[in-house]
Amino acid sequence: MKIKYLLLSVFMLALWSCETDMENPDANYPDPYLEIDSGDADFSTYVSMGGGLAAGWSDGSLFMAGQMNSFPNIMAGVMSMAGGGEFTQPYVSDNVGGILIGGTEFWGERQYFDGAGPSGVSGNITTEATSTIPGPYNNMAFPFVNAIHMVAPGYGNAAGLAQGLANPWYVRAASSGNASILGDALAQQPTFVSVIPGDDFSAWALFGGPTPEVDLTSATGMFTGVGATLQTLGASVPGGVVTNLPDPSNTATFNTVPYNSIPLDQATADMLNGAFLAYNGGLVAAAAFGLITADEAASRTIVWAAGNNPILMQDEYLTDLSALGLPAFRQTTAEDKVNLFAAPFLGQTPDPSNPMGIIGITIPANDFAILSSDEIATLQSQLATANGAIAGLVPSGWALFDLHGLYNEIASTGVYEDEFNMTGDLVFGGFFGLDGYFPTSRGYALVAKRMMEAIDANYGSNLSDAGLDIGDYPTNFPDGI
Amino acid sequence: MRTILKILIMLVGVFTYAQTTVSGSITDQNNQPLSGATVIVVGTSSGVAADFDGNYSITVDMDTPFSIEASSVGFKPATVEVSGSSTINIVLQDDSALDEVVVSASRTPQRVFESPVTIERFGTKDIRTTASADFYDGLENLKGVDINVNSFTFKSINTRGFATFANTRFVQLVDGMDNSAPALNFPLGNLLGMTEVDVLDVELVPGTSSALYGANAFNGILLMRSKNPFDHQGISGQYKRGVTVQDAAGTNEFQDIQIRWGHKFSDKLAMKVNFGFLTGTDWIANSEEDKLNRAVFAGVYNKDGINIYGDEVQTNIYGVAQQMVGLGLLPAGAEALVPSTNVSRTGYNETDMAEPDATSKKADWGVYYRPIEGSNLEISYVGKWGTGKTLYQGINRYAIKNFLMTQHKLEVTNDNWFARAYVVEDDAGDSYDMTFAAINVNRRWKPDLNWFAEYVGAIVNGTLGGMTIDQAHVLARQTADTGRWLPGSPEFNANLAEVIQDPDLTTGARFTDNSKFYHLDYNYNFGHMWDWAEVQVGGSARRYSLNSGGTIFTDVDGPIEYQETGFYTQVVKSMMDDRLVVTGAMRYDKSEYFDGQFSPRAVLSYTAGEYKNLNFRVSYQTGFRTPTTQDLFIGLDAGQARLVGSAAGNPERYVRDYAVSTAGQALGIPATVTISGASAYNNAYEASSVQAFAAAGDPSLLRVAEVDYVKPEQMQSMEFGFRGKLSRTFTVDAAVYRNDFQDFINTQVVLSPLYGEVGDGGLSVLAMANQDFETWSSYTNSPAEISSWGISIGMATKIFGNFDLSGSYTKAKLEFEQDLYPDFRTNWNTPEHKFKAQFGNTELFKNFGFNVAWRYWSEYLWQASFGDGMVPETHVIDAQFNLTVPKWKSTIKVGATNLGGDEYFTAFGSGFIGTQYYISWTANNF
Repeated sequence: MKIKYLLLSVFMLALWSCETDMENPDANYPDPYLEIDSGDADFSTYVSMGGGLAAGWSDGSLFMAGQMNSFPNIMAGVMSMAGGGEFTQPYVSDNVGGILIGGTEFWGERQYFDGAGPSGVSGNITTEATSTIPGPYNNMAFPFVNAIHMVAPGYGNAAGLAQGLANPWYVRAASSGNASILGDALAQQPTFVSVIPGDDFSAWALFGGPTPEVDLTSATGMFTGVGATLQTLGASVPGGVVTNLPDPSNTATFNTVPYNSIPLDQATADMLNGAFLAYNGGLVAAAAFGLITADEAASRTIVWAAGNNPILMQDEYLTDLSALGLPAFRQTTAEDKVNLFAAPFLGQTPDPSNPMGIIGITIPANDFAILSSDEIATLQSQLATANGAIAGLVPSGWALFDLHGLYNEIASTGVYEDEFNMTGDLVFGGFFGLDGYFPTSRGYALVAKRMMEAIDANYGSNLSDAGLDIGDYPTNFPDGI
Repeated sequence: MRTILKILIMLVGVFTYAQTTVSGSITDQNNQPLSGATVIVVGTSSGVAADFDGNYSITVDMDTPFSIEASSVGFKPATVEVSGSSTINIVLQDDSALDEVVVSASRTPQRVFESPVTIERFGTKDIRTTASADFYDGLENLKGVDINVNSFTFKSINTRGFATFANTRFVQLVDGMDNSAPALNFPLGNLLGMTEVDVLDVELVPGTSSALYGANAFNGILLMRSKNPFDHQGISGQYKRGVTVQDAAGTNEFQDIQIRWGHKFSDKLAMKVNFGFLTGTDWIANSEEDKLNRAVFAGVYNKDGINIYGDEVQTNIYGVAQQMVGLGLLPAGAEALVPSTNVSRTGYNETDMAEPDATSKKADWGVYYRPIEGSNLEISYVGKWGTGKTLYQGINRYAIKNFLMTQHKLEVTNDNWFARAYVVEDDAGDSYDMTFAAINVNRRWKPDLNWFAEYVGAIVNGTLGGMTIDQAHVLARQTADTGRWLPGSPEFNANLAEVIQDPDLTTGARFTDNSKFYHLDYNYNFGHMWDWAEVQVGGSARRYSLNSGGTIFTDVDGPIEYQETGFYTQVVKSMMDDRLVVTGAMRYDKSEYFDGQFSPRAVLSYTAGEYKNLNFRVSYQTGFRTPTTQDLFIGLDAGQARLVGSAAGNPERYVRDYAVSTAGQALGIPATVTISGASAYNNAYEASSVQAFAAAGDPSLLRVAEVDYVKPEQMQSMEFGFRGKLSRTFTVDAAVYRNDFQDFINTQVVLSPLYGEVGDGGLSVLAMANQDFETWSSYTNSPAEISSWGISIGMATKIFGNFDLSGSYTKAKLEFEQDLYPDFRTNWNTPEHKFKAQFGNTELFKNFGFNVAWRYWSEYLWQASFGDGMVPETHVIDAQFNLTVPKWKSTIKVGATNLGGDEYFTAFGSGFIGTQYYISWTANNF
C-alpha cells in the first residue's frame, strides 16, 4: 500500500518533469467528451431483482436515502448515458426506515452512528405495508427475499402477511395480489436485468444457522428458485448480469464482537468455575463411558478466568447428552463468530429476579448470537455449492459478477478505489453499514462500479468510463435527515 | 523725423543681404540624377526643385554663410553650408534601415547592409516614432525579437528561442557594460538600464555572437549606447504620464520622469548626469487556476493556484490519518474513511503577498576627459545606480523590493583601441520569495502537522455525519482554517513583515544577496596599420564574487570567487572592389571550472548589383555558454525540490539533515541522517523511473540517474542572409539559420534515497518506498539532440509619398524528440510564426507624425521552472501620434499600447497585460 502513497507524492514531480501534454492526473475522472456506449447490451429497460442487497438496504433497514443509493439505481444512472431509460424504485415513505403492517411495527428504524456506536434514529415509522403503491418497478428487489420467493405468486398479497407468506415491502409494491416478483419483472419487458439470487445465505447466517425459514440444502429451496428465475429471465430477456452470493461470515456482522468478550475478575471467575463443576464433572463421566470423545469433553469443559472470557453458548452440533442431564453447552472459541446483534444482549440478566442468570455466562447466548465453527463450515460448503450452481445457471451470454469475491477482498486486503482504502471494519471501514452485512452507499457505489466492469467486459460497453466516483456517496446517514 | 528714417534706412542698408545664387546637381551615391529633389534654404521657406537632370539653381537675398538642405524621398537630407555664390553638387546618401551604421556586428563601424550577421538597429528616430510606451518596449517591433513581459518594469528580450525570463543566453551591454545582475546572471531588462533621453542608439544581434562577445552572447546580444557629453549637451528631458488599464488591477496612473544634463566644460572635459524615475502599478497576476491544470479533476482541495502561494504545501491525508490512528488521535480503522489524496493548505493570493506598485529609479553620471587636443583619446568614468520594485518570476515569483545595482566603469578609448574595466554589484535589498512568504506565514499561524490533523479529523467527522467526500473536504478546510490570519489583518501584516525579513527559508522568505563581478575588456584594431586586411584583437576577463550568505549559493562560509578570461581576434579581408568580404573571427575562453573553449566565426559576404545593392552572405559560427553562477553554485530549497549547482565541490557544501520515517527506522536507520547535494550526482534515481516504480510497484523499473557535472553548452550555427535595396524605397533583409546544440544545459530532477546505495536492489528501494528520499534539481548537460532553425524576412518601403511601411515575418522551429527524452525540458518558449508591421509618417503635416505598430504571434508553449502553459495566438496594436513644437524644442507624443484592450500574456504565470495610454513631453532631445 505504501507504493500508492508514493505515487501520489511523486505526482508533484509532474511539475518538473511533465511533458508538453498535460496528462489527466486522475484517470477516474470522466472525459466530458467521451461517449458512453452500451456495447452489445441494451440498457433501455433495466430491471433489478434480488434481496436486500439489491433493494438498497443499509444500516439495518430500508429507507429512502438508502434506496436512492441502491447499486441498481447507481448503475441505472450511468446506464442512462448509454441509452438507459427511467429507473423506478418502490421508495418507502421516509428516511426513518422500518415498516408497519396495519400500524404494527414489522421492522424497526435504521441505525445511525451516534459517536460511540450504532443507535436507532429518532422519528416515527410511517411506511405502511398495506398502503400500496402498486408496481411494477424497475427495481424489483425487496428485503428478505429468498430465491424461492421470487417466483412465488401471492408473495405480495396482504392476506399472506399474517402467516408470513408474504413480504410487506413487496405487498406494498406488487402490481396485484397474485403477482410474483418475477412476473412483475417480466411484465416490464426488460432488455437488461441484474439478479442477486436471494437473501438465503445472509438470512441463514443472521438467524444463527438452520431454521425452518431457510433451507440451504433442499432441492425445493433456493436452487429451485434461482433456477426458475434465471431460466425464465434467460428465455425472454436479451441481456443481464447475475451475481454469486457473498459469505456473510466474512462480514462485519460476524467480525466485530470478539469471541471472548466477557470480562471477569478473579473472584467472579472462581465462583463461576464452582458453579460449572457439576457440568464439567458430567462431561468427564460421559467421556469415561465413551459417550463422547475426550476431545469433545475437553472442548465442552467450561473454564472461567480473570480477564476476557469466551461466551457460554449452546451448540446443536454437540453430542446430545440430555439423557445425562447435561445441556449442549460449550464456550466459544476463536473459530466461532459472534453476531453483532447479539452484543447488546451479552451480560444481560433477562430475569430481574435472578441476578445470577446472565446471558453468555450462566445462560447460553441465543442460537442466533453465535455462528459456530460447524455452522460456518456448513455455510461455506453450501455457499460454494450454491455459487457453483449459480455460475452454471447464468443464461448463455450473460455476465457473471463475483460479488462473493468482492466481499472476500474487502475482508482480507481491503479494496482501493477512488483513493479510498475501504476495509471490512464496522463504522470506519467505509464499506459495511451499521448492520455489518449490507454496504453503505459508498459500498453500494463500489459494488455498482465493479459490476459495471463485469458488464463492460462481457458486453463491450464502457460504463466504467463514466467516472463514477465512490467518494460522491456517503458512508453514513445522520439522525434526522 | 527724416533723419531718423535715413538712419534707419542706412542701418538697414548696412545689413541688407547680398544676393547669392547657388546651383549644381543632386545625385545619388551612384551618380544618378535625382530629379524632383528639393533644395531649401535652411530657416526660410524658399526652395526649388531639381529638374529632370537633377540640376537646381536657387537665388536668395541672404548674407552668407547660410545653409541649404537637399532632400529626396528615400535619401537622407543633406545640409551644405554656403559661403558665396557657387556651384554645389550634392550627393544624397540612401536613407534606409540598411544604410544605418552599426558597430556591434564586427566591433567596427559598418553599414547594416554589409554587416556579417543579422543585426537590427534602433536609433533616435525609431525611439521618437515608436508607438510603444518606451524605447525598450519598442525593440519588440524589430524582427525576430520577442519581449517576455514579466511585469510592468521588467521585460526580458528573447531572440531565437530557449529563454525564460531569466534569459541567460542573451547579453545586454550598456556602453560596453554587462548589466546582468551578478547573482542572477541575466539582464533585468531595462529595470536598471538606461534613461531614454540618453539613448543614442540600440543595436541588437539576434543570433550567436560568442566569437566576439564570448560566453553567454549565445542567442543574441543587445548593445545600448548613450550620448557622449562632448557631442550632446544641455538639459533634455522627458515627462510621461498616463494610465494602465487591466481587469485585475483596474485603472492606475503611471508616470516617468527622465532628465539628462550634459555639459562640455572645455574641449577637454565634459560630463553628464542622467536621472530617471518611474512609478506605476504592476500588471497584477491573480490567476487562481491550478498550475498543473488539475482544477477540473481534483476539485478545490488539492490545488496549486498559479498565483496563490502557500498552497504548494500539500500532503497525502491518508498518511496523516494513519499516523493519527497510530497516535490514538483517530479510532482504529478510521483511516478507511480518509481518501488517499493530496490536500493543499489554503494559500494567499499574490496581491496579499506584495503591493502591486512598480517603481524604477535610475541614475548615472559620467566624466569624460580628452587630454590631448585634436586627438580622440578619451578617458571616462561612468557610474550607474539603479533600484526598483518589481516582480520577478523564476522557479517561484519574487517581490523585488529595493533591489539595488551599481556599476562603475573606467574606460580609455582612442581611434583604434579601447580598454575598459568595470564592476557590477547587486544587493537584493528587501526582496523576497512570495511562495515561501506565504508558506511561512501559514506555518507561523498553524504548523502544517496541526493543520492537516485538523483537516483529517474533520474529514472523518464529516463522513460519519453523512457527508460525501467533497462535502467533507469543504468542512475539513473550514475547520482547519478556523482562525486563519486573513490578508490585511494586523496579525497577517505583522507576521508577513517578519517573515520577509528572515532569510532562512524554513521560517522566512527573504533572499539575501550582495554579489559582484569585475570585468575587463580591451580591443585593438590594426586597421590603420595594415592595408591587406583589417585585424582586431581583444580580450576580456571577469571575476565573480558571489555573496548570498548561504541563502542562494552555497556560500555560507564566505563569498565564492571564480574567474573567466577570453581572447579574440578578427580578420576582415575585402576584395573585388569591396564586393567580396571575408570575415574570420576566433575567440578562446577559459573559465576556472572548465576547459578552454574555442569559438570561431567565418563569414563570406558578397555584394552584387550594378549599384552594389544586393548582398549575400553565408556564415558559420559556434557559440557556447558557460553555466551560470546559479548552475554552478546554487544551493536552494525551492519547495518542490532542492536546487544544487554542480561546480566542483559545490554539491558537497550543501548539507542537510533529514528525518527518517518510522518504517525506515525499523530497518535500523537512525532517526536522522545527513546527506549532501553530492547525492544528487552520485546516488540518485531518475524522477520518471521513480514515478514508474510507484505506479507499478516494480523495483526493477528504477533507473539509476547518471548526472554529470555541468559543463559549457555549445552550438553551431549556419546562416544565409540576403539584403537588397530593390528600389530607392524598397529594402529587404532576410536570413535563414540553423542552430545545432550540444550539451544543452538543463536541470534534471532526481531522487536520492536517504539510505542505501542506488542500484543495490534492497535498502535504497526500501528508502524510496518509505518516501525517505530527497528531491533534487541537479544541473547538468543533456545528451539530447536539439536543433532549431528559423527564417526572418523584413521589408521596408515608402508608400503614398512619404509614409513608412515596414513589416517582418519570423519563423522559429524547434527540432527535438521529446519521446526520447521525456524528462527533458527545452524551454523553447517562442512562437513558430510572428508577423509584425509598422505604418507611419514622421511628417504627415508640418510637425505632426504618427505611427501604428501591429504584432501577431502564433500560439506557443511556455515552459519554465515556475510552470508550463500555452500562450495563445495574439494580436497587439500600438499607436501614437506626435507633435513637434520647434519653438519649445519639444515633442508631444500621445499614444496607447495594446489598443482594443484584449489582455494578453507572453508567459505562463505572469500578470495579464492590459492597455497603456500615455502622453509624453520630450524636450531638447534631438
